[in-house]
Amino acid sequence: MVGRYLLVFFLGAIAIVMASPLILTVFSSLKPTTELANPPWYPPFDVTFEHYFRVWTEGKFNRYFLNTVIISTVDAIVMIGIASLAAYALVFMKYPGKALIQALFLVGLMIPVTAIILPLYSIVRSVGLVNTHLGVIFSDLALAVSVFVFMFSSYFASVPKALHEAAKIDGATEFQIYWRVVMPIAKPAVVTTALLEFLWSWNDLLLRLLLLPSDKMRTLSVGLLNFQGIMTRDVTGLSSGTVIIALPVVLLFLVFQRHFVRGMTQGAVK
Amino acid sequence: MASVELRNLSKSYGDVEVLRDINLIVEDGEFVVFVGPSGCGKSTLLRMIAGLEEITAGECLIGGQRANELSPKKRNIAMVFQSYALYPQMTVAENMGFSLRLEKRSRSEIQRKVRTAAEVLKLEALLDRKPGQLSGGQRQRVAIGRAIVRNPRVFLLDEPLSNLDAALRAETRVEITALHQRMDTTMIYVTHDQVEAMTMADRIVVLNGGVIEQVGSAMELYNTPASIFVAGFIGSPKMNFIKGRFAESAGAGTIGIRPEHFQIRNEAGDWTGEVAIVEQLGHDTILHVRVPDAGILTVSLDGQHGQRVGDQVHLSPISELIHRFDNQGRPLPTRN
Repeated sequence: MVGRYLLVFFLGAIAIVMASPLILTVFSSLKPTTELANPPWYPPFDVTFEHYFRVWTEGKFNRYFLNTVIISTVDAIVMIGIASLAAYALVFMKYPGKALIQALFLVGLMIPVTAIILPLYSIVRSVGLVNTHLGVIFSDLALAVSVFVFMFSSYFASVPKALHEAAKIDGATEFQIYWRVVMPIAKPAVVTTALLEFLWSWNDLLLRLLLLPSDKMRTLSVGLLNFQGIMTRDVTGLSSGTVIIALPVVLLFLVFQRHFVRGMTQGAVK
Repeated sequence: MASVELRNLSKSYGDVEVLRDINLIVEDGEFVVFVGPSGCGKSTLLRMIAGLEEITAGECLIGGQRANELSPKKRNIAMVFQSYALYPQMTVAENMGFSLRLEKRSRSEIQRKVRTAAEVLKLEALLDRKPGQLSGGQRQRVAIGRAIVRNPRVFLLDEPLSNLDAALRAETRVEITALHQRMDTTMIYVTHDQVEAMTMADRIVVLNGGVIEQVGSAMELYNTPASIFVAGFIGSPKMNFIKGRFAESAGAGTIGIRPEHFQIRNEAGDWTGEVAIVEQLGHDTILHVRVPDAGILTVSLDGQHGQRVGDQVHLSPISELIHRFDNQGRPLPTRN
């Protein structure tokens, strides 16, 4: 019994430590400027949403938000399509060179983004896609596709081969099997891919900083930098901007949490 | 309906040859069972006929047409899998009508065919359920129903009863036999269970180590096995094989005596032994008798008998029913 209390105390302490940055950020975003002198762990006594309005309009978060939604949504949808199709081909089909393609995807898992960011920039510039959403979307997809092909492959490997064979005997083409038989039972993998890719795309800073120099194309993560100069720091602007960035992702995760965990653990046990 | 002809069919995975020189003709409307121990190649052979495995050498003809290069769809066959392979996200009706939907048949035609098949298989009440809500036996019937609605030229069944319990297996066995009689379609059925093979098949194909050991009716295989393997594989309980002085006195390397071909006598003789195990089945009594120089022999007696463990019994084989084999396991002519 004592052990149980100790465990609850220990886990509770960790939970507070983990959640404290988020709580402090929310506190700061809701405090009027007059309360900024208080210690950061003081809750707002006179709650205000003025910083949110300021960030949304003056900070151009309305435009950045739209840009981010467009890029992240397209990223997530297209990633589901290409990663699942590639994984289907790797798991269910037989063709020469399959092992080589598998190895290439594996290499893709191992290369860090920072190592190829400059060659990637050169390529995007050479095809005239710098300062376009398309350039960022292509780069996002190329950089993360290996991870999601690997995840879909693990999921598809758990689908009984007999289902694929039964559909073949029923007269289905490979695409019909993919679309009508395999994808409907791969919902956890689809949801996990959508959430993870959306999350990565939503939060990414480096690629967007490099590929989207124009203000009207910027995303939220880059826009947040406006509140942090070399010598100055707008704490309330930064805090409310951070909450605006975090809120959609947290909501998505809460709604799809069950699918997300199932997708992540798929294939971990028999 | 269509015949299936296999000509010098072989299958290899790299250097490993799993099927060798298979020659077989399955006639129109015939019910043929492939039987053999695990790993003998029977499922691989069925999958080659289905088009799910490539043919390494030889020819497969369906309805007289070479099918080696044809996709499973173009072979116009239907297959029932051991695992049922039902689409989990679809209802029973959708599962059964899936192939027809792919053929872009009209909704009314699909509904009519699915309903007809459901009536035959007593599935009408389950049409809106998903496979996860069905029992093993019901799933198996849906898998058979999915095959029926296509009206295929050839039915292929890959160990369809092996996931069912003993009672349901016996029941479904009868249903499949009745279905074949009603539909009169060519059926090829794979099993490792020789009782299934003997009770259902017009002809049985016994496979062992990637080759056909014997093809024939159940009684042909039972009465005149072409090898010691077939003699041992067909029949339950298994045939007794005896070497040594008993075989030598019969002029053979090995003699085979079926458990039901022993009689109990009152006077002692060469075949006197001690009862080691008694199995009472009600309709039969099976004794395991330790006989000097012959080992433990299985003896099947009609009806109920009172022998107990440790009793001495005097056995006598029916001499004209003794099978003789040479040292290579080939049958020797019967002695008159």
